[in-house]
This record gives sequence, structure tokens and C-alpha cells, in this order.
Amino acid sequence: MTISNGDGDSAAKDGRRERKRKRRAEPSLVKWKTEGEQKTYSSKLIEALRRVRRSSATGAASAATDHSRSRAVREAADRALAAAARGRTRWSRAILCGRTLKRRVLPRAGRPKPVGPARAAERSKPPALKTKARVLGRLVPGCRKLPLPSLLEEVSDYIAALEMQVRAMSVIAEALSAVGGAPSPAQTEGPI
Amino acid sequence: MSGRGSRITDEEINELVSKLQSLLPESRRRNTGRVSASKLLKETCSYIKSLHREVDDLSDRLSGLMVTMDSNSPQAEIIRSLLRS
Repeated sequence: MTISNGDGDSAAKDGRRERKRKRRAEPSLVKWKTEGEQKTYSSKLIEALRRVRRSSATGAASAATDHSRSRAVREAADRALAAAARGRTRWSRAILCGRTLKRRVLPRAGRPKPVGPARAAERSKPPALKTKARVLGRLVPGCRKLPLPSLLEEVSDYIAALEMQVRAMSVIAEALSAVGGAPSPAQTEGPI
Repeated sequence: MSGRGSRITDEEINELVSKLQSLLPESRRRNTGRVSASKLLKETCSYIKSLHREVDDLSDRLSGLMVTMDSNSPQAEIIRSLLRS
């Protein structure tokens, strides 16, 4: 029989449990859809692109190939995206500190599977789900070893962030191609 | 959920997976009752891969267009003002 001082105790216990759950600070997905967030990201991305352009201009001619520049753009875009997440998600932290680590082999990354008999509960998940969950974990940065519930949370945030990244980059690409192609953006009707 | 990490019920999985369903564009269109968890995970993987490809394509495009940023810095200002509006 639990000791209770009327409602206060059980409410406190529920409150504690609620707080414990909320302490995980589920990232809200709404922010990735807001225009403000996208604009902030776009301007940060443009600054990063300028840095890439400057560094590729001063670097060796062989380094400034299309492919390496494109990869530099991709990495800058990902880093800016991870920064926008403000460290609240695993994938963003992994991107921010993992860009150099990825090239070195991490000692833990080689372990294929958790050892069988100790994790009897994990086998309650059908193996087909487990395989797919593992594939998913490999796609999201920093989420290889995550259990399914946390993985799905990271995936939700990651997908929302990626969609914003695509939208922002499309806008910038459109703006750049329009500006580059047209004689002057102010004159839409007829030449001078 | 550090304490409960090893005991995940099927129900919880289904709950999480249905939450995932609302994220995928195709599922939003289809909006049928229940898709199998396995199928959803697979669709999620494909969706993320296609998003990655889009970002790669956009990076290619941007790295080519960046050269125009090079010669005219007023263009960068134009872009900024476009974004601000």
C-alpha cells in the first residue's frame, strides 16, 4: 500500500514522472517549417558559401574541381543545418563534431551487433524491423546504435530539417540563376 | 528513456511508427488506416535517401552558380534583400 498524503503525493509522483519524460526535451518539429528559421538558415548558408568560394579561389587549382567544390558546399550546408538545430539533437551534434572524425575509423563503429542472450527483450522485435531500423540508423548521422524510439525521434527531426534545407537551397539556387541570367533584376519588361 | 530502453512493447513501436507516418509525404496523401511498420521504415529510408540526393544536386548547382557570386558582389546584396522580403 503506497503512502499517500491525499492527492498531493500521487500528483507529485506523476509530476515527477512527467518531468522526467519532459526532461528529454523533445525537439519541436514546427520550427523547421517557419519562414524565419529558413531565412536565418539561408543567410548563414550564403555566408558559408562565400567562405567556400574564397578558400577555393586561393587554393591550388587542382583542388578547385567541380566535385570538391560541390562537396564543400554540401558540407557547409550540412554544418549550417546542424548549427540551426542548436545542439538539441543527436544528428546535429554528430555532424558538428563528426566531419573530421568520420574519416578516421572510430573503434566502436566496427562492432556488428549486440551480443545475443543478454538482450532477450530486443528479440521481441521482429528481425525484419530490426534490419530496416539499422539501415535507417546508418542514414541519420550519429544514430547507428540508437534504440528504436530514440531513433524515430531523431529521424523525425532530421527529415524536417532536411526538407527545410532543400527548400532554402532551392530558393538560393533560383535567386542566383535569375540574377546571373537576367540583365538586371529591376527590369522585367523589355530591354533598356 | 534510459530505464525502459530494453523493454519496448509492440504497441509503443506502432505508436512511434504512426507518428513517423505523418512525416512522410506519400503517407500524408494516402492517409489509409494502418501501414505495416516494416513498410514505413522502408519508405522512411527511401525518403531520406531521396532528400540526400536532392541536397547533393542542389549543392552541385550552387557550386556552379557560386561563380556568379564571385564577379558581382552587388548580386549578393540582391540575394540578401530577396531573402529579407
